Amino acid sequence: MIFREVEDRDLIAKARRGDVDAYSILVSRWEKRIFNYLLRLVGNREEAMDLSQDVFLKAWQNLKKLEDAGRFSSWLFRIAHNEAFSLLRKNKPETPLAADPTVADQSARLYPVELSLAVERALTRLSDDQREAVLLKVYQGFKFEEMAEILGCPVSTIKSRLYAALDLLKDTLAPIGARGVQ
Amino acid sequence: MTCSSVDLKAYMLGELPENEKGAVAGHLRECASCSEEMERLSLTHLALVSLRDEEAPRRIAFVSDKVFEPRWWQRMWHSGPAMGFASAALLACAILAHGMIRPAPVPAGLTVNTAGVEQRIAAQVNERVNTAVAQAVARAVADTEARQQRQTAAMLAEAEKRFDLERKADRLAIEANFDIFRKEQARLYMASTGLEVR
Repeated sequence: MIFREVEDRDLIAKARRGDVDAYSILVSRWEKRIFNYLLRLVGNREEAMDLSQDVFLKAWQNLKKLEDAGRFSSWLFRIAHNEAFSLLRKNKPETPLAADPTVADQSARLYPVELSLAVERALTRLSDDQREAVLLKVYQGFKFEEMAEILGCPVSTIKSRLYAALDLLKDTLAPIGARGVQ
Repeated sequence: MTCSSVDLKAYMLGELPENEKGAVAGHLRECASCSEEMERLSLTHLALVSLRDEEAPRRIAFVSDKVFEPRWWQRMWHSGPAMGFASAALLACAILAHGMIRPAPVPAGLTVNTAGVEQRIAAQVNERVNTAVAQAVARAVADTEARQQRQTAAMLAEAEKRFDLERKADRLAIEANFDIFRKEQARLYMASTGLEVR
């Protein structure tokens, strides 16, 4: 990870001098993470792909404004967050989803695909803010302070969203997790 | 440490400082309800991380791709000073070319027999035109003749084919009629000799 950060710094420095090849390497390193973050946030592959494209374009255009190359990841996710939420605000009214349908046999072990579907469904039942907090923490591994920087809000707000999300997820996923996977 | 002061979620997410982790671990060993809650959180976390990342449907097309790079003339076109310099250079070239191509002034007293020159040129042009026309006519005639020969040969072949078919059909008809006639003759002969025909 240390080497990776050093290399990212080097690539960012080169990209800031207009080296498009260096930036292209950066894109290839981060595109999967950004795409998956956006995919789980907006829930649509094509929209997530288009947003990813916009994120990297905006990052390229504003790279010179990035003061600390060591904060590239949180800066990039900040852009992704802004892009995603401008789309979510445009597209989707906040409507609570229906309760999760009960699985017929509550004791049987699950197939991996069933578990994935259950997790995806549980995530979609969260509010956008709660889901994003889970995505940044659980899937992207950011610290609370970094999340606060990305989302532009205090750490206390981050914790509140994340803890509420975990309480909701726990009700659905803990029993499923206890059943195990075939 | 009491149950209310333990931040199990921060502990599970690895957000507690090192000095607090030990205290929480000790509390979990002693408190059954916190231990159960911790297990539920761990199972939730386990289920969450089972979700695998997806591959992007296509790679991000970006500035390094050739299609995004402006061509030289586009870069030139969008560059104001470069366009100004190019225009000035073009104007200078035009002035220079005009100065070099313009015919030199004819010295006084020098006369040219333009009528004779024109006649010679007209004669040469006529000769060339006539030659070209004759060649073109000969070529067109040859093409037409070749085409007609090809058409005639094709028509002859077709006629011969048709004639052969007709001849074959006639022969078959004659043979059939002869066969009928022969059978009729045989029947009459048998009848005249009193033999029974079955």
